[in-house]
Order: sequence, then structure tokens, then C-alpha cells
Amino acid sequence: MEQIRKQYKKILSDYIGNQSESDLYIGQNFIKRMIQKNVTPEEVISIHKRALEEIYDDIPDSVLHGYDFLIEVMVHFGLKVQEHQALLAKQEELRIEMEVAAKIQNLLLETEVPKPRGVDIGMISVPLRKMNGDYVHFMHDDDRFLSVAVTDVVGKGVPAALCMSMVKYGLDTLEYANSNPSYVLEVLNKIIEKSVDDSMFVSLCYARYNLKTNVFTWSSAGHEPSLYYQAATESFHDLEAKGLLLGILPETKYTQQDIELNDGDFVIIMTDGVTDFREKEEFDPREKIKELANSYRHLSAQAMCEEIYKELQRLHNFKLVDDFSVVVIKK
Amino acid sequence: MREAKTVEIVTELDIVTARKIGRDEAKAIGFNDVDQSRITTAIGELAKNILLYANMGKIVIEEMETDNLKGISISSIDKGQGMTEVHKVLEDDYTTSSTGGGLPAVKRLVDSIDIESKVGKGTTVKAVKWLS
Amino acid sequence: MNVNVQFREDGDLLVGFIEGEIDTYSAPILRDELELIRLSEGLLVELDLSNVNYMDSTGLGVFVAFYKKIVKENARLKLVNLSARLTRLFEITGLSELMEIEKGGAANASI
Repeated sequence: MEQIRKQYKKILSDYIGNQSESDLYIGQNFIKRMIQKNVTPEEVISIHKRALEEIYDDIPDSVLHGYDFLIEVMVHFGLKVQEHQALLAKQEELRIEMEVAAKIQNLLLETEVPKPRGVDIGMISVPLRKMNGDYVHFMHDDDRFLSVAVTDVVGKGVPAALCMSMVKYGLDTLEYANSNPSYVLEVLNKIIEKSVDDSMFVSLCYARYNLKTNVFTWSSAGHEPSLYYQAATESFHDLEAKGLLLGILPETKYTQQDIELNDGDFVIIMTDGVTDFREKEEFDPREKIKELANSYRHLSAQAMCEEIYKELQRLHNFKLVDDFSVVVIKK
Repeated sequence: MREAKTVEIVTELDIVTARKIGRDEAKAIGFNDVDQSRITTAIGELAKNILLYANMGKIVIEEMETDNLKGISISSIDKGQGMTEVHKVLEDDYTTSSTGGGLPAVKRLVDSIDIESKVGKGTTVKAVKWLS
Repeated sequence: MNVNVQFREDGDLLVGFIEGEIDTYSAPILRDELELIRLSEGLLVELDLSNVNYMDSTGLGVFVAFYKKIVKENARLKLVNLSARLTRLFEITGLSELMEIEKGGAANASI
């Protein structure tokens, strides 16, 4: 402390003598070091008062009393600063914990994009924050069936991600890609309804593609309808499917539908982070996606996903409001 | 060694009395001006808590001496409602004050703090600061 | 970002006018407001959404949880005056098959 006192007195008296900018600059740098050494505001004022007393021996008592008053009232500012530092440290701890949780989640939910013959598949899934509330799960076995589940868990962050891990494990227990989509949804619905609280639920689109017959079968639980592009007529169609969100009622039944994919056709499955446009009320997001898909339709499925993402991100002023996932399946 | 000083805390004026006595004690023991302010502030916060949560109680200020250290102890004793989660009370986000006050503040102003509380019986807080 | 509810009681009918945006931040506020409603058998709760500018899936969560409570207490829930966008949201999610959704409601009757 003596060192600090001496140095402070020197800088102070230099400034009082010259009033130069460089003394002020030196003073500020010195204070930064004092802050690092956890010197409190009230201590600084006490140091200042002592320094002045040593520089000038004719300071009136009234002025010194003024300083005593200032020291007293500064104590609360000092407490506030310490409280702030403690909270910052806590925040850093939480951030590190979240990063670990996110890493674990990423490992658990890794999914490989299949590359079967005759079909081009692309996928992009970008979380809003560290934990992704969207999940894309592919299954591909025995060269006959390929299936994909695209799911969106309500809410964001840790609770949503935990709910989604349940979806993944449910899908894992199904093992084979040839299960009927409506059956898959019924099973998942039962699992989720049992385990989540009343305000948590999941939207999910499950599709199965038969690589031998080119029949695409889908079923949806409250999910944003997929887009189907028919090359022959150069037109888009919504793959409507009525189905209640997963997790609301224990015995919900689901239906499924088929279409046949021909060369040049593609299907886009997405989550509502893609069609969620708050400010731009006049804007129809689905029309926009049809536009984008149309202009990029000669690119590979993966490139299509990435272009759509880039463009929508731009339209949102680079501030998307939800987790964003798009899957493109191209014949 | 000096005698312990007790101040009954019933009204806000008593907080001022306790602070004055605390400051004089701290000065007599040899604490510097900044530490005097800290000790006084801690006494003020403890006394305030008595009024806020227990209606009345007392503050006891005593000189402490061990082999090579001299210090001061401030105790706040009340027969109020008591606390259920003592360890939480010392954490920053539990404080009811947003101006850097309360028990978390007292903890920062002194060297050690000890709390004994029984729900329905009352609370004793003992804060100790040593001369550096 | 902000949401609030005004209630109007009329015998067995309780009308709640919800105003604002229902998202991750304001959904808990709406949930708390709905929690204050004392549900009883035969009570019809009509929630008017004409002044709801925006709702995302967290908002849906609030209505789903509230709906479940209503069912438990043998009361009735009706959502009225939904914008085209909100109606679509309830339709896609299948909630329109589950809950009573209407354009117009008791509130309009007095106009």
C-alpha cells in the first residue's frame, strides 16, 4: 500500500504542476492497476486525501472534513463494484457449464447425412443459442429405405434440448428405417406425453423414402408442411398433413400420405424457425422459400440448403429468432 | 481491554447512535479512516436489518485481542423470525437491496462473519475485523 | 415483448382480452395471468386474441397448459378473433381440432 501511496502522490503532484494530458493518461493507467489489485474507490479517495495533505500543509480542515464525508459515502459504491465483479465471475462459470452441456449435446445428437444412390440429400441446422431445439435424424439401411425426422421442440435452451434428447432416444429404439411414419409418430407421442410437463411439446415431421419404388411417405405432428417441387409441371405443392403436436394427448393417432418422386423433383422439410418472420407481416415466408428453392434448384441439395439459409439470414438482418433447420431431398 | 458497548436498536436514530459508538471504538483500537468507515457502514447495515426484519434488537461492539492481533467484533442480536436459508442469505442475488447493501455487503466489509439463526427464535450475526 | 390481459366477468362467462406479443419473454407473464383465474365446473373462458400481434411456439405452450387445466376442472375454453396467421398456427399444430377456435365471440355480440 505504501508503494501505491507514493506513486499516486507523485502522479497527482505532477498533474497539479503541469496539468498535462500525459499525466492524466498515466493516472488512468495507474488506476487500472489499482483496480486489478482490488483497491476500492473509498481507499483511492483516502489515498488522494493523504497525498494532498502531504503536498500542501495549509489545507483548511473544512476541506479535509469534506473528504472524510466523501470517503464515507463512497463505501457503498465500492460494495456495488465488488458485487458486480462477483456476479461477472458467476456468469462466466455458467457460460462454461453451458458450453460443456452444448458439446455433450452435439456429440449425442450427431447425425450423418446419408448418400444413397439416386438421391441427393442436404441438411442445415443452426441453433439460435448454444443448445439446439431443432433436431434432424436420418436413418438409412439396407439400400431400400431412407428415413428422416425433423423436429422442433418448443422453447429454447436447456429444457428444450433435454426434451429433444428424449425424441432421439425414441427414434433410436425404432431401429429400422422402414417403419410406417404414422406408427413412428404414435410411438414418439406416447413417450413424450409421459415425460414432459404440460407446456412442453414437440412438432415433428417423419418421412420415409423407398429407394426402390421412389415413394415418399410422410406424416406430421403439428409440423410446418413440407414443400414439394414437381419438375414435370415446374410447380410447388404443400405437403399438408393434419396431426396434433407430440406430447399433448396420450393416445393421438396420425395419418400418412404418399407421393412418387421423379427425376428433378425435390422435397424441402423445415422447422418453423425458417418460416418465422415477426416484423415482416406483409411477407409470406413460404412464398420466399419457393422463390429461393426455384432459383437454386440446379444446385446440389446441400448447396440449396446453404443458399436458403444465407438468404433468409440476410432478410432477418442476420438476427434469426429461432433455431433454423432445412432438409432438402432431391431425386 | 475496553468494555463491550451495547446499543438497543428500536428506531432509526439508534442506527446513528450505534454507528457513532462503533466509529469511536474503531478509532480507539487503531483502525485507519477507511476501515473506520467500513466498520461503521457494517454496523449501520446490521442495525438496519434488525429494524427491517426483527423490529428490535441490539448491537454489541467489542474490542478483540488474540496473541498478536487486535480487532473489533460487531454482533447483531435479535429475537425476530429467524432465517431458514442462512447460506443463501450471504449470496449476492438473494439480497433485497439493490444498492450494495444487506448481509452480502457486511460480509465484504469485514474479515469474517458468523450467523446463528433459529426460525421463530431469532438471529445473531457476529462480524469481526482485524487490524491489518 | 410485452403482453397483458384484461378480464371481464359475466356470470358463467369470463372474457380475457389479450394484448401484445407472446414470445419466450412474455409467455411466462401470460401464464401467470391465466393462473390467477379461478376455474370452476361449467365456466366458459373466452380468450380474445384480436390484439395479439405475434405469437410463437412458446405462446402455444401457455395455451396448451391452460387448456389442460380447463379440461381437468370441467370448464370450457374458447379462443376467438385470431388473425389469419394465428389461425394457421393453431391449424398446423392440430390444436384447432383440440380447442374451440372461433372468429368473433361474445365480446362482439355487444357491438
